[in-house]
Amino acid sequence: MDLVVNAVSHEVDSAPLTSLLEVLREELDITGPKAGCETGGCGACTVLIDGEPRRSCLTALCMAEGREVTTVEGLGTPEALSAVQQAFIHHYAAQCGFCTSGMIVASSAYVDRGGSPDTGAIQEALGGHYCRCTGYVKILDAVAAVARGDDADTMSTAASPTSSYVSIGGTGNGGGGAA
Amino acid sequence: MTLHRGRGMSTIEYPTGMNQNGDPSQAWIKVKPDGRVDVFSGTADIGNGSKTIQSQIVAETIGVPYDWVTFDNSNTDSSPLCTGTFASRATFVAGNAVLKAAREVRGRILEIAGREMEIDPGDLELEDGSVSVVGTPARSMGVDEVAGAATFVHGELLTGDGAHLNPAAEIIDPETGEVDKPPHAAISYAACVAEVEVDDETGVVRVVKLTQAYDIGRAMNPTLLEGQIDGGAVMGLGFGLLEDSYPYYPANEHRGESMNTYHVPGMEGLPAVENVLIENPSTGGPYGAKGIGEMANNAQPAAIAIAIHDAVGVWVTEFPITPERLLAALDREAAGEDQPRREGKRVIYDEHLSVNTVATAKSWRP
Repeated sequence: MDLVVNAVSHEVDSAPLTSLLEVLREELDITGPKAGCETGGCGACTVLIDGEPRRSCLTALCMAEGREVTTVEGLGTPEALSAVQQAFIHHYAAQCGFCTSGMIVASSAYVDRGGSPDTGAIQEALGGHYCRCTGYVKILDAVAAVARGDDADTMSTAASPTSSYVSIGGTGNGGGGAA
Repeated sequence: MTLHRGRGMSTIEYPTGMNQNGDPSQAWIKVKPDGRVDVFSGTADIGNGSKTIQSQIVAETIGVPYDWVTFDNSNTDSSPLCTGTFASRATFVAGNAVLKAAREVRGRILEIAGREMEIDPGDLELEDGSVSVVGTPARSMGVDEVAGAATFVHGELLTGDGAHLNPAAEIIDPETGEVDKPPHAAISYAACVAEVEVDDETGVVRVVKLTQAYDIGRAMNPTLLEGQIDGGAVMGLGFGLLEDSYPYYPANEHRGESMNTYHVPGMEGLPAVENVLIENPSTGGPYGAKGIGEMANNAQPAAIAIAIHDAVGVWVTEFPITPERLLAALDREAAGEDQPRREGKRVIYDEHLSVNTVATAKSWRP
């Protein structure tokens, strides 16, 4: 069977009902899609099929035949990251990174179809994606920034809209301990 | 059905480093012939940013650009020992180890530069990858030139090692738990105010807002710090309301059988989160840092429980505060059953007020 992934055609040997996730990761060694819950619950395995976000763990290989599969690897290159990838860096939207490729893939589909920067709309679009580390705060910031058309400087990080700093200065008055 | 609003506040303190100390970290650093810096440290970066923080410490301490630093924790054979990424210790303890190693490297660079420039190293300064004579900045040479000279002229390696250990505190009085020295590397403090909306018919609690204040030592990397605190807020929300490996009390056969039935907060319905970060440098941490890891999800559950009491007047004595547990508490109150006793400042929950947990109800186990 032929499978087109990131605009490259692959001849694959897996059985037709093998999950697309398993084919991508195990046969083609394309590991951007993560094997999280593998039952459609977490969003980490999300890929685009003809531009629409789909759970690759719930998609049989035969359902992807003749269609364009795009993983996070196909959205940009290290030299030319996509706008969403740049915004995730600028807004520090990844910590451990396990949910990140699914988040980026789904966010790309959202902004490509003209999604608004409204927080509620982004939460609805990405509501099926779970993140354990970030509290979603900076992910929402990043997607809203792309939806607004903001530039993202990948060599700096964005100021936080939710945190303010109070410096009580000096040194050595902060409690603790052992020398 | 009535929606009740309530607010609650909790405060916490949290130690940096392993309880009672005794948790060493070690590091070594070498400079390549082109002046680029390799750091070997055993600290695993699990998304907390320890590679970034330790690289920042090395760059700042030696006096080279951040992007000259490569942090290698790729295997346990080439890296010196680090006790681990836990106990909110990586920035403080492992950070101190790389700080000491970097100071040594800085001294070695100045020593070789002094030989090259025929000047006392004490009269040299090192900043942004360049060594120059104090007061005569035109007399300078790059760290890359110094490293090249060390390698090819002097036949030496620019290297440094460092280790940090807060010695283990021994208990000297078993009665009181008194220890013979400070038992933590540092202590961080935080407060959290939760604002909730409680539906007294369904038992559903919605957290509307979390306002948090953290004493975090020196903010070495504000963006990483905010990431820990934002993430902790939502984890704390989950611990307060959702997360339980036995979510379907009371029927054992309805317990969770996969991670899909372990409820973690999703993106929708999140509370507004507002953080006030208080920079209050510590005595012993690198550049005044403290740990901000695990403490970030401790204050929210208690604040939520107190806010629920403020809203509907009942104490739910176990986390997570599921609709079932809250409705059971409301039923007990309506039936005139006991509420927690008060003795002065203490609120005491007698055992019969407690919804049975996995830990106490062995009969639930399959």
